[in-house]
Amino acid sequence: MADIEVRRLSKVYRSRAHPDGLLALDGIDLAVADHQFVCLLGPSGCGKSTVLNVLCGLDPQYAGEVRVAGRVVSRANGHPFRVGYVFQEPRLLPWLTVRRNVEFALQSEGIAKSEWRARCDGWLGRVGLADFAEAHPHELSGGMQQRTAIARAFAVDPEILLMDEPFSGLDELTARTMRELLLSIWLETKKTVIFVTHNCFEACFLADRIVVFTARPGRIKREVTIELPRPRNYEDARLFELSVSVTHHVTGTTARGTRLPD
Amino acid sequence: MSVATARKLEAGAARGLLRRVPEAVSIRLASLVVLAVAWQAASILFTERFVPGPASTFAALWDLARGGELIKHFGVTMARMLASFAAAMLVGMVIGTAMGLYRRAEQSLDMWVMVGLTIPGLCYIIVSFMWLGLNDRAAVLAITWATFPAIAINVWQGVKAIDPRLIDMARVFGASAWRRTTRVVVPQVLPYLMAAARFGLGIIWKVTVLVELLGRSDGIGYMLNYSFQMFDMADVFAWTIFFTLVMLAIELAILKPIERRLFMWRPEIRA
Repeated sequence: MADIEVRRLSKVYRSRAHPDGLLALDGIDLAVADHQFVCLLGPSGCGKSTVLNVLCGLDPQYAGEVRVAGRVVSRANGHPFRVGYVFQEPRLLPWLTVRRNVEFALQSEGIAKSEWRARCDGWLGRVGLADFAEAHPHELSGGMQQRTAIARAFAVDPEILLMDEPFSGLDELTARTMRELLLSIWLETKKTVIFVTHNCFEACFLADRIVVFTARPGRIKREVTIELPRPRNYEDARLFELSVSVTHHVTGTTARGTRLPD
Repeated sequence: MSVATARKLEAGAARGLLRRVPEAVSIRLASLVVLAVAWQAASILFTERFVPGPASTFAALWDLARGGELIKHFGVTMARMLASFAAAMLVGMVIGTAMGLYRRAEQSLDMWVMVGLTIPGLCYIIVSFMWLGLNDRAAVLAITWATFPAIAINVWQGVKAIDPRLIDMARVFGASAWRRTTRVVVPQVLPYLMAAARFGLGIIWKVTVLVELLGRSDGIGYMLNYSFQMFDMADVFAWTIFFTLVMLAIELAILKPIERRLFMWRPEIRA
């Protein structure tokens, strides 16, 4: 497990549509302590996912300084720490069974083969897929595929866990069960998590801390600490109130429709 | 028989619903019997000279086999086909991959592979023989030339269909470049490679026989032409039947099992 330190992170995308470059992130400062669950919240296109891509090393072309557990994230550094990543889509290899998909990640991370069976069985059991280990992804529902992706991310015993709107493609009922599942796993493992979402209620339900982004170019608008006790409950009235006030921070308006000062 | 039907049959057998298996088999058997009866009837109607019946066709085939001609010419044809197939796959894969990966290669080549596909095989054959003479090098050149555009097009589509998000997933979990290629990219392209091989073989059969007819003095194409000159209809039928049987055998004994093993996971084939 590891702490994360991001200093003055900026990112410019160059493309044919934007030959002069499109500023996606503008001077992000973000420090995340060990075992913290942090949500990045903001409208789509605000660069939240870019932060994740930089953190996991997929996108090494950025300005600023990014360290995970004290190690600089850069192209030259390769793959210096273990990352668990849950994408918006399950991103399973369709020709492999559920078990082999988890093993693919284990092997990629260089984890000894003797540990595979215990880890697969343990994590697939934890996400409720013990009976589906030998099924192929297309035989599973969307929620079950995303459970597989969660099992895969935890199975590698990551130092940091990155999640990019992992439940936004699911129906609300499935998403609820998945959030509860994620929270209970997180309470056991206490991984450092960065969770990207545009759903205020989801952010309040999950996070210790919410970092609210502005629309493009992405800047940090405000931070909110969520002090609700865990385990949390969907029915909690305080959760609802919090999510309303966080929504106002995101949209920049009050309940009466007047603008909040930034 | 398609993979889908095959899988249905397996599933049926597993569940003990044995009546489905004989039905599928018996329909095929029945169609075979009807074909044989129609063939025999046509032979009686139009005389053996124009339509040799099943008996005389297989007798002619037996004579060819006993005289050693069958195996000799079959071997020559197979050798030409395999050499050209290997060459066409190689060229087609290189060009198709380049077109799939690089926009410039795609823009400069897409029209020409289409053109290459539409030019009749006969043109490649004549040009090759005029360049290199009536020899096997020219034969292989002509067959390869006529075949590789179809392979290139399939590989091109396959490379374009690679899902970069899966590659990113593998990279995030620390998979090396080699591992990403062999375990993530290649399996995605394999179905297209199989399709390419299918198309390639389909074209190769036809072009090879034509090549042998025009410029070689052995092989099944040559023997077909020889039988034509002799007006020996039974031999023409015998060679044709033999060719069909060989194609069926390759399809059922090689292509189908490979496909079934490779693509067991694919829902569109399964369902």
